[in-house]
Amino acid sequence: MKLNNKLYALAGVAAGSLAIVGAASAHHAFSAEFDAEAPVLLRGEVTKVEWVNPHTWIHLAAEEEDSEETVAWMVEGGTPNTLLRAGLNKKSLTPGTPIIVRGYQSKDRLCAPACKANGRDITLSNGEKIFMGSSGTGAPKDGTDPRERGPVQTELPDAEDM
Amino acid sequence: MRLTMKSLLAASATAMAAVMVAPAAMAEPPETDYEPPRMADGTPNMQGIWTNASLTTLEKPDNLPVIVPEKQAMMMAGMVEASAEADNAPTDPDAPALKAGGEGVGGYNRFWMDFGSSLAKVRGDYRSTWIVEPADGKLPYTEAGRKMAEDRLIEQREDFDNPEVRAAAERCTVGFGSTGGPPMLNVLYNNNYQIVQAPDKVAIVVEMNHQTRMIRLNEEHRPEMMDQWLGDSVGYWDGDTLVVETTNFEPDISLRAATRHRLYMSSDAKVTEHFTRISDDEIFYEFWVEDPEIFTQKWKGEMILRKSEGPIYEYACHEANYSLPGILAGARRQEQDAASAGGSK
Repeated sequence: MKLNNKLYALAGVAAGSLAIVGAASAHHAFSAEFDAEAPVLLRGEVTKVEWVNPHTWIHLAAEEEDSEETVAWMVEGGTPNTLLRAGLNKKSLTPGTPIIVRGYQSKDRLCAPACKANGRDITLSNGEKIFMGSSGTGAPKDGTDPRERGPVQTELPDAEDM
Repeated sequence: MRLTMKSLLAASATAMAAVMVAPAAMAEPPETDYEPPRMADGTPNMQGIWTNASLTTLEKPDNLPVIVPEKQAMMMAGMVEASAEADNAPTDPDAPALKAGGEGVGGYNRFWMDFGSSLAKVRGDYRSTWIVEPADGKLPYTEAGRKMAEDRLIEQREDFDNPEVRAAAERCTVGFGSTGGPPMLNVLYNNNYQIVQAPDKVAIVVEMNHQTRMIRLNEEHRPEMMDQWLGDSVGYWDGDTLVVETTNFEPDISLRAATRHRLYMSSDAKVTEHFTRISDDEIFYEFWVEDPEIFTQKWKGEMILRKSEGPIYEYACHEANYSLPGILAGARRQEQDAASAGGSK
C-alpha cells in the first residue's frame, strides 16, 4: 500500500499533539516548580515511596561522584490512582531497588528533608521502565479500540478510502 | 419494561419538540430500544462507575475534521498504542542527563497518564470535539470573554505572589480542567465518576479531587451569594432523562485549563446537563452552557460516559501537596537570586 503523505502528516500531527501531553499542564505547572536550566541525572537505591496524592514521590539515596556518600533526593511522579488502576501499588517498587532518574531540580533548590526533582524518566538500572504505561482506559470494550481487532494497524490507509 | 405515565408524556412531548425544532438530530438523545435497569422509585438506574477518558477534546483540533473518518480514527488509536509501546521501551542506562532548557521541563513517563485510547463515537460518528453547537466545534467566545480567559491564563503563568493567585487545582480545591464540571470534561488522568442515586438527590463523586457534586432534586437554587466550587446543582427527572441545572460557581474556577482545553466561564454561567442511559455501558451526556458575557451564544456538547471498572480511588490532594509550596518557594528563590545579582553589580 502506498503511503499518502497528506494523511501521514495529519496523523503525525495528531500523534504529536498527544506526545506532548505529558510535558504540559497537569495538577500544576511543572515549569513553575522545576528549573528547566537544572537537569539532574541521579543513580541510587530507592529508600521510600510516598504513595500519596496529588503526586507520588520516590525517594532515593543518590550516589555522589567519587564519593562513598549518598545524597537524599525525592522525585515527583504522577497520581498513584492511575497506577492502582493498572494493578500496581507502592510495593511494586521496593526500597533497595537501584534506579536511574533523569529530571530537573526544583527551582527552590531546597534540600531539606531531601533535594527535589521531577521524575521525567525513571528506570531500573538496566534501563527498563519501573512501571509500564498503558494506552487503555480501564473501560470495557466498546468497539472503538483497535486492540480489540487484533494487531495494531501499521499500514496507513489511502485518503480516498476514508 | 416499565413505563410511567410521566415518562410517556415526556416522551411524546419531546417527540413533538423534535419535529418542531431543527436540527432534530441534535435535540434529543439517540433513539434506542434500550430499557434501563430501574431504581425502586422507577427512575433509571445510572449508579456505578463511569469514565469520559477519550482522545476527543472539548474543542475541535485544527488538524482534524469534526467527524473523523473511521480509518483515521483507527489510525489515531493505533498511534496511541504505538506511542505507549515506544514509551515502555527501555532507556539506555548510560544515557546522559536531559538537556537544559531545550526539551522543556516537567512531564511524566507514560505510565502516569491515562487520557484514553480512542476518539469517542457519538451518534455513530467518531468525533474530534464534544461541541455540537456551534457546528465548527469551537468555543464561541465574545471578545471580552476570550480576553478574560487569556488574562487569567497569563496571570497563572506569571504571578506567584501568594497561594490565592494560583490555579484552583494547584491549591487542591478542585481538579484541573473542569474534570469535576459541570460540564464534566476529560483531562490527562483520573477521568472517573461514581453516580449514586436516592429519591431526592443524585450524587456524582468525581475521582479528582474526590469531590461530590450533590444534585438536589425538585428544589430551588440556593441564594446567589452562595457560590460553590462546583456550582449549585438542582435537578429533576424528565422521563428517563436526568436534567440538572447548575449556577453560582466559585469565581476562582472561572478558568478551567487542561492540556487540551481552556474553558472560561463566569460565576453566573448556567449549565444544563442531560444524563440518559442508552445502554448497559453508556450514558449519553449532553450539556449546554449559557454565559452571555463570555460567549456569543448558548453552546452545546454531547459526550458518552462509558462504564468503567471500579473502584473510584481517593484523591486526597491536600495530603502531600508539595507542589504549591515548591512553586512559591521557587519564585522566592528566583527573586532572591535576581536581587543578589543586581546587588553585586
